[in-house]
Amino acid sequence: MKTRPGATKSHRLRYAVPAVVASASLFLAACGGGSSSDDGGDGGNGGNGGAPAADVLDKASGVTTVAFWHAMDGTNAEALTKLVADFNSQNTGKIEVKATYAGKYDDAITKYKAAIQSKSTPDVIQIYDIGTRFMIDAKQTIPMQSFIDRDKLDVGDLQPNITGYYSIDDKLNSMPFNTSMPVLYYNKTLFKKAGLDPEAPPQDLAAIRTAAEKLSKKAGGPADYGFGAAIYGWLLEQFIATDGKEYCDQGNGRDGKATKVQFDSPEAVEVVKWWQTMVKDGLAANTGRDTKAAQAAFKSGQLAITLESTGQLGGYSKAAKEGGWELGAANYPHIKAGTEGGPIIGGASLWINGENHEDANKEAAWRFVKFLADKKSQAQWHTGTGYFPISKGALDEPVDVDYRKANPLFDVAVKQLEGTKLSKATQGCLLGVMPQARKASEDGLEAALNGTDAQQAMTKAADSLKAQISQYNSSVK
Amino acid sequence: MTTTTGDPVRAEHDPEEPPQPQSGSPAGGEAKRERWIAIGYLLPALAIFGLFIFWPLVKSILLSVQGTDILGNPSGFVGFVNYTRLFSDPDFLQVLWVTFAFTILTVIPSIAIALLIALLLQSRIRGVRFFRTAFALPFAFSVATASVIFGVLFNPASGVLNGILNTFGIDKVQWLTNPDLALWSVSGATVWMQIGYNLLVLSAGLGALPEDVLEAARLDGASGFRLQRSIVMPLLTPQLFFLVVVGTIHSLQSFGQIKILTVGGPEDRTTTLVYSIYEQAFANNNSNYGYASAQAMVLLIIVLVITALQFGVLERKVFYR
Repeated sequence: MKTRPGATKSHRLRYAVPAVVASASLFLAACGGGSSSDDGGDGGNGGNGGAPAADVLDKASGVTTVAFWHAMDGTNAEALTKLVADFNSQNTGKIEVKATYAGKYDDAITKYKAAIQSKSTPDVIQIYDIGTRFMIDAKQTIPMQSFIDRDKLDVGDLQPNITGYYSIDDKLNSMPFNTSMPVLYYNKTLFKKAGLDPEAPPQDLAAIRTAAEKLSKKAGGPADYGFGAAIYGWLLEQFIATDGKEYCDQGNGRDGKATKVQFDSPEAVEVVKWWQTMVKDGLAANTGRDTKAAQAAFKSGQLAITLESTGQLGGYSKAAKEGGWELGAANYPHIKAGTEGGPIIGGASLWINGENHEDANKEAAWRFVKFLADKKSQAQWHTGTGYFPISKGALDEPVDVDYRKANPLFDVAVKQLEGTKLSKATQGCLLGVMPQARKASEDGLEAALNGTDAQQAMTKAADSLKAQISQYNSSVK
Repeated sequence: MTTTTGDPVRAEHDPEEPPQPQSGSPAGGEAKRERWIAIGYLLPALAIFGLFIFWPLVKSILLSVQGTDILGNPSGFVGFVNYTRLFSDPDFLQVLWVTFAFTILTVIPSIAIALLIALLLQSRIRGVRFFRTAFALPFAFSVATASVIFGVLFNPASGVLNGILNTFGIDKVQWLTNPDLALWSVSGATVWMQIGYNLLVLSAGLGALPEDVLEAARLDGASGFRLQRSIVMPLLTPQLFFLVVVGTIHSLQSFGQIKILTVGGPEDRTTTLVYSIYEQAFANNNSNYGYASAQAMVLLIIVLVITALQFGVLERKVFYR
């Protein structure tokens, strides 16, 4: 009898399968190998040096190439590419910036870690706000303040509420670049249908609930749900800040290394409980963690009120125009009316790497960063992307004035920013494991929305971070 | 086939067909020479294997007994701390449970459905070639593509699935955000992805069934369900066994669909072991390579044990011709 293919395969399988098993399960482990180079740990005091002499670039011969890693894609990448091209043409023969997309924020920081180990960090890298403490502790970068001090640069043009996030003891570590703020968006058309005043959006939790009771289908309203927002830790951080409270201890990590998070505090739990009850009563949708899901639901008119970043203004305006409804925007709500606090200014900032970089590169990188922070660049960036300009002057640039005429809702964000008093609460929490903390808060919020007791869920989430925080703090000393 | 006993299953253990000897061993110096030649041929493969499989394995073991600093560098020997932390972590029990459930929910249905389709496709109806291609098509999709498509289908607001349910007056289902449902949804998507491959293997197996055996069975009066169950199924066991083993390993290592559809949520209810390793090593600015490596070791052991069990228990039921 002939050997059948099936039989042969199965006999070979006897040997092949263990091999497949071994190879496949180890592949992942191999990725995590990391380097065993001898400079493990904090790398001594290296890297954190100051700015080079201002004239290094004049002494350098030829073109100095600046490697720039960013995390912008889509329209944002286009706008950024244009800015880079502008800078390069202004500095032809002297500096050339090579921009590389390093993946989304999380991927970019992971790649950056690998680059530290292989001593191949880019000259400039864009890192998200919550990576700030890590960037300081990684000791690879030169603080912006040392360039600013060297040049005796007047930074009065930079929005203090924005630079606040990236400053410790009034010293600026990195240059804010793309900045966004949370606002409350609402559907004015649905408000009118529900008999609510479209010019009086709700500004605290109780008011949102009252409005949702009229807006929701469950209560005979015109929308599927009166309220809905993504399970996004950032939003919870904002509620804590608008209430004037700190997210982590040690003055939001500004007075010393934070040792615990406080999103299990009574105020935060109040938000979670409110949200949970809204979902339970059919007044709020639970669209999960994917921010796109909540965005889609709001765009299609299924939600009447949502919380999102100013970055969504363009997308929502377009959806409103196409869907034939009117969009409204308002300040981010407070937990209770009348509390003093405001939203945290998030986004990402630019870091200049010093460790293992030539002085000429450091200087060229600084000039590039300075260019991006300039009011002209910021106006171009702001109007091209919808991110908030970090420069006050940018708002007076003609292109920006025109933009805000066309997008009047953006003024809500401008006013909100200007109306926010800078405090430790609104500076935001600096924490080495902030990305993990954000995720943990989402774990807690999600569990609560799905029925777990709010206090219990948030306490469990906060406790889950204790080991990570102490491990982080002990490893950076 | 010469037996005339009532049970056709017995016919398989035909004394005419002794199991083939594994391999002959030539005698004397000839054997030695051949061995060297064999090693020579194997060497390039072994080198690659060693570099990409065994070295990482050693490295992984080493990492699993070390701590990790914030940059991901090993920060010194810590003994079995990573392992004790692992087994004292209640969340890790859930991870193991999810991994187990996901494997069961994907392997069994994907083989069962593929088998059903393969049997249906045996019938000689018009256009069967078209259906064969159509049903095997999922095999051509990458996990990422398929996951994105399923993400669209599962969308609670605009997804097709809820659209269909809506026409029947059924309320919106939160396919991916309901903690009790998410694993089923991800498993369903995975089953769809696996069916194509399983179908190809089973169809090939069915196509290669020995006509003589089938004919003998038909002459003996077997037909319909009886023929399928007692003749076709046993003859198909090599393929089925292959699919169980490969499918199990595949499911235990699934990553793409979880990353794209649920990112391990809601409430970590779709966090399988591989996803947990990824989270510890790479996500959220983590770089706990030590802890992740300890989990990788657990995964390796689980896969090895399950595979050994499958070979020890299941393979005995396999009928090799």
